[in-house]
Amino acid sequence: MASQTSPWLRSARAPMLIAMLPALLMIAVLIYLTGWAIAYSFTNLELTGVNSINWRWIGFDNYVRLFTRHGFLESLWVTVIFTFFSAIVGQSVFGFSLALALRPLYGVGRTLVEAALMLGWLLPDIVASFLWLAAVSSPGLLNALVLRPLGMQPIDLLAQYALPVVIIANVWKGTAWSYLLFSAALDSVPRDVMEAARVDGATGLQRIFLVVLPMIRAHIATNMLFITIWTFTYFTLIYSLTGGGPGTQTEVLSIFMYHQSFGVGKLGNGAAISVAMMLIVGVLSIFYLRQLKEPK
Amino acid sequence: MDAQSRTPPLMAVALAFIAILWASPFLWLVTTAIDPKTTGSLDFPHALGPDNFIHALSGNSGLQLINSIVLSVGTATLTVIVCAAAAYPLSRLRLPGRNLLLWGLVLLRLLPATGVVVPLYFSALWLHVLNNFGVMLALTVLNLPFALLLLKNFFDTVPIELEEAAYVEGASLFQIITQILMPLSRSGLVVVWFFSFTGAWNEFLLPLIFSRTAAGFPMSVGLFSAFGQHGAVDYGFLAAYSMIYAAPAVLVYFLLRRNLNTGFAGVGVKG
Repeated sequence: MASQTSPWLRSARAPMLIAMLPALLMIAVLIYLTGWAIAYSFTNLELTGVNSINWRWIGFDNYVRLFTRHGFLESLWVTVIFTFFSAIVGQSVFGFSLALALRPLYGVGRTLVEAALMLGWLLPDIVASFLWLAAVSSPGLLNALVLRPLGMQPIDLLAQYALPVVIIANVWKGTAWSYLLFSAALDSVPRDVMEAARVDGATGLQRIFLVVLPMIRAHIATNMLFITIWTFTYFTLIYSLTGGGPGTQTEVLSIFMYHQSFGVGKLGNGAAISVAMMLIVGVLSIFYLRQLKEPK
Repeated sequence: MDAQSRTPPLMAVALAFIAILWASPFLWLVTTAIDPKTTGSLDFPHALGPDNFIHALSGNSGLQLINSIVLSVGTATLTVIVCAAAAYPLSRLRLPGRNLLLWGLVLLRLLPATGVVVPLYFSALWLHVLNNFGVMLALTVLNLPFALLLLKNFFDTVPIELEEAAYVEGASLFQIITQILMPLSRSGLVVVWFFSFTGAWNEFLLPLIFSRTAAGFPMSVGLFSAFGQHGAVDYGFLAAYSMIYAAPAVLVYFLLRRNLNTGFAGVGVKG
């Protein structure tokens, strides 16, 4: 914190305060929009028709509808499965394993694996989606390289295994981030601690579970915080691959919200879904942030 | 060498397999894009030629590339300017309500952007900016909490003594900003610019709702709507379009890589 008596800061104070105004205005807009989203969720506002102009306050009806009508709970379940398998099992565990396996490697081998991971991550979502759409189509990569050599008929994987395909595509796309974070975390574990554990006779698995994991606890919590939130609210890849279908098999909450708001046109209902998503994300964040703060 | 020899051969084979598995879609993408007579299956190219790329750069798809560039460069630059102008005073001045604002930003940072899509749509409708300019404004607002926190933390690591010395020597405010502050905080500014750029380059939901005509789409929506446009999927065109669309995101990363690493390190000190 800089001293308040510095003549430089005293002379620059006025222009600095003026310079802050655009950002403050935008923060106000963001808070206002969030408040608006919450307010909408208590109305029967619709995209078109009578209710788009003459909307009324309807109390908690939209929220009651979430739990009594078909759709929300099913969509929540799909989202939970998608998040658990693609973010926690896929990206986190796999990313950590890769970071651990690549740690003793230097040179070309490591660069090649890292480059392959990074390409998936750097690619725009829609390009990743197109690649997977092509790979799982009947004449595509998976059928040509895996199923046909095994003597099976080519099948439309997206029609039959939509959710697994979407999960795998997201693991392919997102693992690099967890890998990078865990690589940095492993670098922060002091070498002599590992040596001491080795000398004391800890096996490889014991060293990982009893020494490394507790030491990088904060990194794990940070990683989980970000990828859980991102995956839980992810829209683009899933929507562009399946549109939520077939049926509602891959209709995660963000797609459900989009369909309710801009497909069916029930904006009030869509806003209620958004608020529910914000609440869930908020609770998850608090949980992870508590993990982050606890002593090692 | 010593470290290399410790990797068991089985592990090396597994890693090589993973790398090939991960990269195989790109191989397909490249062979499909450079083959004007492609059928979409993984194959040696039937012919070589730039036809697909020419097709992907003409007409609406060419316009969509320009839209994406304008949208992303605009969003990134606007975000950096607005955030830097506020982050610097937040880092230097002891303002009333400063901690409240910072904690508010942390909370706002955690909100999913999907949550405010409906009010954003109405604001854009009301302001008559249901177009790429509206997307640019909306993305800047959504980027703000993260970018502001990151830059504030970054400015905290830049020593104030240099600015004071320059002030004593008679430098103007403008000179101090352009000659001292900006070169010193380059990495932080680059990180924010990079994140905003790739975020806007990727953005799909907002342009999907805001853009109305094919000539106005950015490349994300353009590619998405081209998936099912033809009776038979035109894999060559889509692959070439994908490569053109992916190139800037990959290129920007490698160009800024060194800055990004130092930027992250600087942020890590206090963040």
